[in-house]
Amino acid sequence: MTEPIIKPDVMRISWGPQHPMSGQTRILLDVDGEKVHKIIADLGFTHRGIEKILENRSFFQGIIPIERMVMADTTNIGMGYVSAIEKALNIEVPERAKWIRSLMCEMSRINSHLYAFGLQAEATGYFPAVFLWTTVDRTILLDLFEELTGARWSYNFILPGGVHKDFPEGFQAKLIKGVEYLRRRFEDYWEAMVENAVFEARCNGLAVLKPEDAIRLGATGPVLRGSGIPMDTRKDDPYAAYPDLDFDVITEPACDVMARTKVRYREIGESLKIMEQVANEIPEGPISTKTSFFVRSKPAEVMSRVETARGELGIHMYTEAAPNPYRVKINSPTLRNMYVFERLAELDEILMADIPVVINSIDPWYLDSDR
Amino acid sequence: MTHLGLLRAVAANSFQFSRTDAGFIAEAFEAVVSFILNLPWIALEFLQVNAKPLTQVILLPGLAFVLVFAIIAVWFERKFLARAMLRVGPYYCGKRSGLLQVFADFLKLFMKEIIVPKDMDFMFFAAMPVLVSTLPAMAMILIPFDSNWVLWDIGSLSLPMFFAIAGLAPLLPIFAGWAANNKYSYIGAFRVAYMYISAEIPLVICAAAVAIMAGSFDLLKIVEAQQGMWFAVPQFLGFAIFFLGVIIESERTPFDIPVAEVELVFGWRTEYSGILFGFTMMAEYVLFQAWTLMFITLYLGGFNGPVLLGMTTASHIFWLLAKFAALVVLIILIRCVFPRLRLDQMLNLGWRTLTPLAVLNLVFVLALKVLGVY
Repeated sequence: MTEPIIKPDVMRISWGPQHPMSGQTRILLDVDGEKVHKIIADLGFTHRGIEKILENRSFFQGIIPIERMVMADTTNIGMGYVSAIEKALNIEVPERAKWIRSLMCEMSRINSHLYAFGLQAEATGYFPAVFLWTTVDRTILLDLFEELTGARWSYNFILPGGVHKDFPEGFQAKLIKGVEYLRRRFEDYWEAMVENAVFEARCNGLAVLKPEDAIRLGATGPVLRGSGIPMDTRKDDPYAAYPDLDFDVITEPACDVMARTKVRYREIGESLKIMEQVANEIPEGPISTKTSFFVRSKPAEVMSRVETARGELGIHMYTEAAPNPYRVKINSPTLRNMYVFERLAELDEILMADIPVVINSIDPWYLDSDR
Repeated sequence: MTHLGLLRAVAANSFQFSRTDAGFIAEAFEAVVSFILNLPWIALEFLQVNAKPLTQVILLPGLAFVLVFAIIAVWFERKFLARAMLRVGPYYCGKRSGLLQVFADFLKLFMKEIIVPKDMDFMFFAAMPVLVSTLPAMAMILIPFDSNWVLWDIGSLSLPMFFAIAGLAPLLPIFAGWAANNKYSYIGAFRVAYMYISAEIPLVICAAAVAIMAGSFDLLKIVEAQQGMWFAVPQFLGFAIFFLGVIIESERTPFDIPVAEVELVFGWRTEYSGILFGFTMMAEYVLFQAWTLMFITLYLGGFNGPVLLGMTTASHIFWLLAKFAALVVLIILIRCVFPRLRLDQMLNLGWRTLTPLAVLNLVFVLALKVLGVY
């Protein structure tokens, strides 16, 4: 990356990749004292060529590398890829499989939001309790995942044609128990973190992204909903069992960092609601239509959209008569939100101390943006 | 004849010689030998005469107190924070208590390489952590632990002297940040400058109010004036301001702005490694200790407390240390609860809230004084 020329009296700081909070990226900050004039995100440190890898794998094999895009949110990413395959191959999915998929997606979303929530706590200062609490409480979800899929992190559970396995015995009761436990814990988070006076002082009115700017810059996910725009792919372009499920699209009118944090917090509540509904109302039936592991596709060009925890993931797939896709283009939510983050210094006054708070309100996952 | 006197006599005899004296070498030899032979006695006499100041230097406000406090505070903080985070904390060194982990960490820091960045003034850079951890310890020699347990009793100069010595402390991080030749250190150093200026002014005003109420700048007299009632009661405002000031001065959360890890890597300490970093960590606790002791002396009755078992000095020291321990636990508890403030919010707090309130407190104390209540 060529570094742009800086103005006199301005100091350029390379924030990352060797920094406690930066993650695997470099952000160049032009600061004058504490005030940040310009943010330049230097992405691409973790480029792994996932799009190219997918061209050389069969449809089933591609699920494994693509789930590595976001480890905290593997199911949603896998869901996007699998629904693209199903559109390309014209595969029908049984009703029960759709419900299990929705359940997995929501559990994955809670998992990811919990991590984001903990990092937000960490970013406002050495606020160690909440980050560790969310980490501990994620084990509840991971145990449920392990019970259902056999894995704690990368499941490869959603396959073209349905899901891998049905619920084990007594799983619904465990789901409801887990949901009740997490509900109790979220009250603690609200009191310890969101209503903490110093946290409010740090986050209220910080990095305001007006609705028109959010649309113009192409924000997505909780960032867009934190600016008061009710856009959610689960409602706008429903997939899996979402048309049958009862949930709300969360928006917050404040447009600031606090609004984005609250959106995540309340979305976890909605996801818990969905988990409960699935546990109580899941229809009986088969869990998959038989699909060959070596399935070949017909020439097709499809586009699938899913709502991941970070926003809308678009997968554009072009297939020829072959057992593998010809080209897959991934539109990842973190990349879109990073453009917004770069512009925030121009839209609102941001101080050096706010940078970790603001960047974690975007909830970046650099493996997602670099692919 | 005392042993010192004996030595003087020997020396006086020994040095009555002329250059032509044939016995010159023999006498000089004799003098040296007698000095060496008498050395244990001289040392013993020195210890006899200076027993109390030496105990104070080595034990109570001195080296042992500083080191033991740093060790126990680090250990306690780690265990306590771990409980708040649903963790166990240090577990293996020193069995389940994890007490030896502090020593292990110190040993590790001691043996690590001191990395010297390019183009920097190394002597200046290396001197700062040592100074920054010894200066607050120097300020501690003014704290009265009992009416006859004050290491440096300078009467009515003691309160101004404390602020003079402790007020030097923020200069050193600024120099350190400058010497390190690193952008993060530089920003951290300037944050130190901003923060201490905004914090120290209300602190000095509060201390002045205390001095007015006690009628003296002498710390001993201030403590004696609190025998009936602690100054925390009539000067509640000053008490609250000084409590915040203690946290600010010792750079603890929510005011650890100069070393904010997620923002500035480690602020002015970024470039320090090995034992130099160990000294900067030590400095944090020594500052914490000095200001907390001062806070107790000014507002919480100092060493005052009921005499236990008829031992006045011992029970006074006990009460001071008990109050100190309670405050340390409270301040560490605050770390579990609050995130960090931003620099501008901190400056607003210092200039727009604490300073006017400190002046208000001063006016209130003056009014009490004029009305003759105190």
